[in-house]
Amino acid sequence: MLGRGVKRKWSCLEEAEVVSEARQLVLGLCLEKLQRYQAGVELSLRRSVLLINTLRQIQEEMRSDGVGSCDVHPDSCLLRDDFREDVTVTCPGCSEGESPPELPSQEANGSDQQKPPAAVSDAVNAMGYLGDLALDDIFEDIDTSMYETSDLPSAWASGSLPQSHSTAGSLQSCLMDLNELDHIMEILVVETHLVGPGLQNGFSL
Amino acid sequence: MCRPGGGSSDVQWCFSQVKGAIDDDVAEADIISTVEFNHTGELLATGDKGGRVVIFQQEPESKNQPQCRGEYNVYSTFQSHEPEFDYLKSLEIEEKINKIRWLPQKNAAQFLLSTNDKTIKLWKISERDKRPEGYNLKEEDGRYRDPNTVTTLRVPIFRPMDLMVEASPRRVFANAHTYHINSIAVNSDYETYLSADDLRINLWHLEITDRSFNIVDIKPANMEELTEVITAAEFHPNQCNTFVYSSSKGTIRMCDMRASALCDKHAKMFEEPEDPNNRSFFSEIISSISDVKFSHSGRYMMTRDYLSVKIWDLNMETRPVETYQVHEYLRSKLCSLYENDCIFDKFECCWNGNDSVVMTGSYNNFFRMFDRGYRQDVTLEASRENSKPRSVLKPRKVSTGGKRKKDEISVDSLDFNKKILHTAWHPLDNIIAVATTNNLYIFQEKLN
Repeated sequence: MLGRGVKRKWSCLEEAEVVSEARQLVLGLCLEKLQRYQAGVELSLRRSVLLINTLRQIQEEMRSDGVGSCDVHPDSCLLRDDFREDVTVTCPGCSEGESPPELPSQEANGSDQQKPPAAVSDAVNAMGYLGDLALDDIFEDIDTSMYETSDLPSAWASGSLPQSHSTAGSLQSCLMDLNELDHIMEILVVETHLVGPGLQNGFSL
Repeated sequence: MCRPGGGSSDVQWCFSQVKGAIDDDVAEADIISTVEFNHTGELLATGDKGGRVVIFQQEPESKNQPQCRGEYNVYSTFQSHEPEFDYLKSLEIEEKINKIRWLPQKNAAQFLLSTNDKTIKLWKISERDKRPEGYNLKEEDGRYRDPNTVTTLRVPIFRPMDLMVEASPRRVFANAHTYHINSIAVNSDYETYLSADDLRINLWHLEITDRSFNIVDIKPANMEELTEVITAAEFHPNQCNTFVYSSSKGTIRMCDMRASALCDKHAKMFEEPEDPNNRSFFSEIISSISDVKFSHSGRYMMTRDYLSVKIWDLNMETRPVETYQVHEYLRSKLCSLYENDCIFDKFECCWNGNDSVVMTGSYNNFFRMFDRGYRQDVTLEASRENSKPRSVLKPRKVSTGGKRKKDEISVDSLDFNKKILHTAWHPLDNIIAVATTNNLYIFQEKLN
């Protein structure tokens, strides 16, 4: 479908842009689907795994293609004003007075390649994959193998997710960069930790 | 014109019956979730989202109409599973029947296994056509007689009564699956069966409900490393030590239970290398196998992924021996199908009785048959418009190019809400059962 390893000649820049846009679109859809939940209904593990794998694949491609932080239009920064108040870290490309850099920042990507993509592991955390690990620590003597969580923590079900603008229909038109992805994942992780593993599973500590 | 089916090249398919509500308003509970013929084909079972099982029985062929095989009429209906609540996770356990598998008949009664996400049940379906009459201590309506009025003794005798079909749960196999059960498969020893969820496969004995053996476990120590889940599993039709399971990454692993108690090391792994020309963001999702079925002979197995059906020779792991494209025209629409979640649909597939033809469903209530011998395929439609008794089904065609011929339907006009996920083929005859969302269509070969 979309060729990889496109040589970056001037004549091929258009194709690279198309690839990049397609990636952003699929990335956005991935996030939207991962955030979506139905209270009281267990999510399909197969679906979650496929979504996370797709997310990882896109991140890998973006990283290896050297795509940098900011393909962001200034407009999308304004759209994020409402949830920017909740966020302690700001996107370097969107701090006041600074215009987004035109070229991808190679150094930032270089260091990221050392460790596993933080955003993906945060997404996985948020998915509750690690719920059973925390449970084991607290209830060592109880056999909890029958009650492993394989779904989103109930923190999500209780609606503690910030109502991010990104879930609105404007997702397709809102281009997101890697930093934005990280910020959203951080919010999700913070929310999960606030509720705590014990409360997620109905036990009070 | 030659058409595929039943080994000969000129089988024509006719509408026979349709079961289910006529109106377009589909009640959620009526959505059919599984279809299965029994070993003789006399019985046809369906399971639905509301946890019910409906069994149809074929009427014996009448001498008056030799050109028509018997019709299927309702034989028994029962509530197999009820919704449950998992208090620990605060989640509802759906009553939807994921799979039904028949046991071969050993006596007068019929047995089947039905499963939802968490619990498997063995049901006994038995007929009662006689009842005892002439009790000494009871009246016919059940009231007890005054013992003082009993002056003679008699032996109760059996008198015929209207046929009653009773279904009773004989075994409940519960609490063995943390994740959602996607498959059950009866072993050829007719004593054991397996149940598979996303990460584990358990082996059961049909008589024992409080224990099962875990034979496959792919759960990683660190769940963050989870990248693959089990999607389907089946026992070999005549080698009772062999089973296969498919994964979300498009691989099939064959295991031999004689090798070790825990079959984590596969005996064979079937995987086709990815075509680099077709690589996309969705490559993995569309490679996820949704169904795996052994041929009746046991020599081949068939897998269904999102766009194709593949036939594998069990002696060759490197690539399938045959690949059939179900709806290749969807390859350029994968992004939309990802957006509307259709890309996650799980289609099943089935073999005909002599393994010469395979069948699977598609969208727009289309289903496809591939004749392996004659290398022909046909697209047919299950719809109320083609429901005149014994009317021959006309092949359908989806136009892929710019020009749409008459009678063709364009890709953009396809209704992706009308999906045929479940199909079944009679084990001996050319009779097929095709499930649309809430209707069951039965088609038969045209006999003259």
